[in-house]
Amino acid sequence: MVFLREKEQEVTGPMDDQPVMLFRDVVKVYPLPAGDVTALDGVSFRVDRGEFISVMGPSGSGKSTLLNLMGCLDTPTSGDIFISGTRIGDMSDVELTNLRRDRIGFIFQYFNLFPLLNIIENVTFPMMLKSQKEVDPEKGKEVLRSVQLEDKLFTHTPTEVSGGQQQRVAIARALVNNPDILLCDEPTGNLDSKTGAGIMDLMTELNRKGTTIIMVTHDPHIAEYSKRTIRIADGRIVA
Amino acid sequence: MIFWEIAKRNLRIHLLRSTLAMLGIVIGVVAIASMGILGNTLVLSVSDSLHTVGDSVIVSPYTGGGSGFGQGGGGGGSANLKITDQQFQQIKRAVAPNIAIPVLQTADIMKLGVGSDTIVAPIYGLNPDDVPNIMKLKAGSYSRSDSGCLVGSTFATDHNVKIGSRISIGTDGDKGTLRVTGIIEERGISFDISTDSAIVVTQNWFETTYNRNDYDTVVVKVNQGVDSAIVKTTIEKQMNKRDKIVTVMDSKATLATIFSAFGAITTFVTAIGGISMIVAGVSIFNIMMMSVTERIKEIGIMRSIGTQKREVMSMFMFEAAILGTVGSLIGGVLSILAGYAISSLLLNTTKYLFVWSSAIPIVEGVCFGIIISLACGIYPAWKAANLSPIEALRHE
Ligand SMILES: Nc1ncnc2c1ncn2[C@@H]1O[C@H](COP(=O)(O)OP(=O)(O)OP(=O)(O)O)[C@@H](O)[C@H]1O
Ligand SMILES: [Mg+2]
Repeated sequence: MVFLREKEQEVTGPMDDQPVMLFRDVVKVYPLPAGDVTALDGVSFRVDRGEFISVMGPSGSGKSTLLNLMGCLDTPTSGDIFISGTRIGDMSDVELTNLRRDRIGFIFQYFNLFPLLNIIENVTFPMMLKSQKEVDPEKGKEVLRSVQLEDKLFTHTPTEVSGGQQQRVAIARALVNNPDILLCDEPTGNLDSKTGAGIMDLMTELNRKGTTIIMVTHDPHIAEYSKRTIRIADGRIVA
Repeated sequence: MIFWEIAKRNLRIHLLRSTLAMLGIVIGVVAIASMGILGNTLVLSVSDSLHTVGDSVIVSPYTGGGSGFGQGGGGGGSANLKITDQQFQQIKRAVAPNIAIPVLQTADIMKLGVGSDTIVAPIYGLNPDDVPNIMKLKAGSYSRSDSGCLVGSTFATDHNVKIGSRISIGTDGDKGTLRVTGIIEERGISFDISTDSAIVVTQNWFETTYNRNDYDTVVVKVNQGVDSAIVKTTIEKQMNKRDKIVTVMDSKATLATIFSAFGAITTFVTAIGGISMIVAGVSIFNIMMMSVTERIKEIGIMRSIGTQKREVMSMFMFEAAILGTVGSLIGGVLSILAGYAISSLLLNTTKYLFVWSSAIPIVEGVCFGIIISLACGIYPAWKAANLSPIEALRHE
């Protein structure tokens, strides 16, 4: 495995014994005209620094809902979520957005790159959000090389490269701001098993360097890469 | 900034619909600006031809206003209404020290040299002392002699009249022959006397020839620094004590009325242009909404990886700004061309087009175009910014 940035020994983060993430009796109800849907029904768990967790469960069991709450994309109906000791229910939209930008990396099943930007621009996009100015593309290239993308693809648009390559770009984009936490919703769900294995090797390496990873998956083979599995059914943790 | 870049690229990949939306703005700006230019050109050309040497107040006999339905037929038609010498003296005393000039006016048959066609032209009779107060000559000299006359500049060109030409007045010249001593500078349409196509003779000759001892109108030249409205009131008070004998027209007030009428017409046609701008705004709104709907997923990803609401909003506002600014600027340039076309077709001249006041409607049109585009972009941009990130992510 080629060069991957060593995660700097956390100076900015709060006290080391804090869990990276703490869920306490979290309930998420989606009010629908046809009746409320309880997607999460009293979920409690903690995630410590450096963990690699997979979340498994049948379709509709609430895995994506859980991941969205972890990613501060949504707030719980009741219960508390702490990210490194900060309760996200108390934060404004601007603060939550900055938290996502600076501390969380997202990887999606459908890669979700920006079609109007080329590969290097996709990767440097979060850097520009953070610095609010033009950024040095070298940093982006460095991260792209670390996920084993060839230099000749850097100026291509996302649609011009393969699914596996797109997912590498998406991972590079998620990593470029050095997040503490990487959240992945079926990162290999749209890839063949060989390409998926390559992506999982990359994640394992990232985790080894200190990034906390939480990954939703259906696939037991993929779940084997993680150190711990949270099983969820009907919005409750079952194991 | 990256959002500016994204906005530009999004417009470019949807080139056709961007161009169509822009075209709407172009048309809106052209409609507003060219109507404004037309109005301005109209005012300028009218004020140029309504050339008045200072302010004047024109006194004419009262013609009976709403006119005599029960007044008994026929007699006392306006042709018979004159200002008597006695009334003139009253006016003269009332307006002093402003000069009161009695004017005699008729039209008659005349012939310019042997073998030429007979024509009919207006004839003004003026006291030679007064003539220099009312008109300037572009050639020749003022005549004091009863056998001399002045001709208007249009009259001179149309009938090829020169200094020294002879004009016989009346059928077969029975009213005598006059020698042209001067050609009057062009005065355009004027409220007092319009000499461009007329000839000007002495009061003496006029009175003798047409057997007159009264006047058609009295022109009062208002001195500098005197309010023509006050002169008008003075005359009305003096003359219309019991019955209304004279009608007094104040050239300045009349001009003001005319210009305000032009102003109202210009506003009206510009407002019609404004409607096309509103339509253009609606189409901007439409394609912006389309752009937002198509990119819900993309917006969701942007928000999830840490893009602030205001940044999403700015990205869409940039699109509206580009459409509005480019469209409006193109419209601004085209409205100069449209103004040129309209002026040359309607007024046969474009000399009033390249003046500063013609730039005002263009600037207004361009600004309005940009403002409308931005205003119509606000709601779609706001909607995009306030999409819930998870709803947007779930969107397929
Ligand atoms: N935004 C929403 N509005 C309404 N209902 C929702 C929403 N998001 C999720 N749900 C409902 O909540 C439940 C859990 O959904 P969730 O997407 O978390 O499931 P999942 O475990 O990710 O399923 P899958 O494996 O199919 O992705 C489902 O019943 C779903 O219909
Ligand atoms: Mg899911």
